[in-house]
Amino acid sequence: MNTIIFGEGLERVAVRPITSDIFWITHCLGDKAQDIYKNYFGMLPNAADYSGHRIVDYPFSAFLVRDEKSLMIDTGAPRQQANTLKAVEYVLGDKSLDYIWISHVELPHAGNAPVLKRRYPQAQYMTVRGGEQYALHGLEGAQLMAPGEVINLGKHQLESVEPLFVDHGLSQWAYERTTGFMFTADWAHNLHEPAKNECFMFLDEMENAGYSADLHCDDVKVNAWYQFPWLKWTDPDEVCAAVDTFFARYDTKILAPSHGNIIRGDMARYVPLIKEGMRQAIAM
Amino acid sequence: MIRNIVGDVYQIGEYVEGSYGYEAVLVYVIMNHQHPILIDCGSQLHRAGIMQEINSLLAGHTPEYIFLTHSELPHAGNLQQVAKQWPNIKVIVSNVMLPYIEIAPILPLSQITSEAAGKTINIGGRTLKFVFATLKDQPGSQWVFDTQTGILFTGDGFGYYQSAEQIGKFSDEVEGGIREIQFRDYHRTAFHFLRWVLPEKFNPDLDAIFAQLPVKIIAPIHGDAIRSDIPTHVARLKQAVANIRNVV
Repeated sequence: MNTIIFGEGLERVAVRPITSDIFWITHCLGDKAQDIYKNYFGMLPNAADYSGHRIVDYPFSAFLVRDEKSLMIDTGAPRQQANTLKAVEYVLGDKSLDYIWISHVELPHAGNAPVLKRRYPQAQYMTVRGGEQYALHGLEGAQLMAPGEVINLGKHQLESVEPLFVDHGLSQWAYERTTGFMFTADWAHNLHEPAKNECFMFLDEMENAGYSADLHCDDVKVNAWYQFPWLKWTDPDEVCAAVDTFFARYDTKILAPSHGNIIRGDMARYVPLIKEGMRQAIAM
Repeated sequence: MIRNIVGDVYQIGEYVEGSYGYEAVLVYVIMNHQHPILIDCGSQLHRAGIMQEINSLLAGHTPEYIFLTHSELPHAGNLQQVAKQWPNIKVIVSNVMLPYIEIAPILPLSQITSEAAGKTINIGGRTLKFVFATLKDQPGSQWVFDTQTGILFTGDGFGYYQSAEQIGKFSDEVEGGIREIQFRDYHRTAFHFLRWVLPEKFNPDLDAIFAQLPVKIIAPIHGDAIRSDIPTHVARLKQAVANIRNVV
């Protein structure tokens, strides 16, 4: 199966396999990116590097693990609701969706949870333990997971991971133990250029077409600066040490952030770039 | 519960119970003569009560704008109902928010305006200033300052848990005001990133806001308005941030 695209413009959603049973379900704007992101990147002193001579785009992704029990990591946003459902149905066919796993409750991550629950009423919401007021955030009745707890899906085992860098208070990341798939929600993501046909590409494919390590580092920096404005109040050495500890603990073979292209290997090369991007974000 | 804070500004909303006490989920209403402004619109869990209170306050007037401090459900959960009742209402959000995907597709995008921190807007003769939210739980979080009353609306920032006896009471109606532990418990759960934050870097940025703006009242969404002794409460918030860093 190659990339399948449902819909267009603000509503389009693509689905692409990362492994034989883990699927990337993602929305990005393509040729509409400049219109939407002009003001967003306008805050930067070098705005033209993102919305001028280089026009970048930014995906919003969910991931579907198809197994004896199937699980969706995040759900996408209501604007792409119909096409997200089509993508899920395309992957699952007659199979059921058993778990709707929510990293955090922002609309682009959890906004389609209700419609997925209506389509697959047996699906169980899963989210992070340790909070309160789940009903206030639309997750009443969710099964709660503490970091380190694992859901056994069959061939796949999904572990809840204590996130390093978050915006929302109730957040979790996920690690799939069989494949080394690490989901880091809002952290460690690059940007891509629709004009270079980089939408829905894996990062190694982008690099083969000219995307560079320097660009990756710079993209991680800019995204971290936007996503985590509190970084400027942190100690860069402490942050980078935590990144090292994290990747020493989790043998990551696939890095899948919500808002970037998927890294399919060679983490030893990417981790230093991500750390440098974080260091630069802290200094911005 | 409708309460007048000062002048023509009111707070309404509900309180939910948790292990730390009660958490307010508020909406602020600036009556502003014939040009009412809503600050957030509350949780979908409290839709009927909140809409009833908004309507009671507005007494037939149509709100012209709603400012969303950010787009989480406890803040924007009733936007659909607000848009249904007042379909011409204009929404204001931070320029770091992406309305097409961060706000449910309820209103035409042309009715949503993005404003940058530092900008001002005049609504029916009233000037509101947009303020960089020092404490954000979404990148698109923003604070807003009402120049007429000196109220700084701080979204999740300056939230606090309160006892049953404190519900609906402003800080000046609570002996000693809001305590550091109340800020600390709330901010530790709402802003997990504070474990990374060094007070010596954070404090000057927070102080700068209060040095630049003549803040007389702090109005968080998750705590009743703080009407008394702003410097003391800012100091307690800074102490809470320091304690979160030190304890975690």
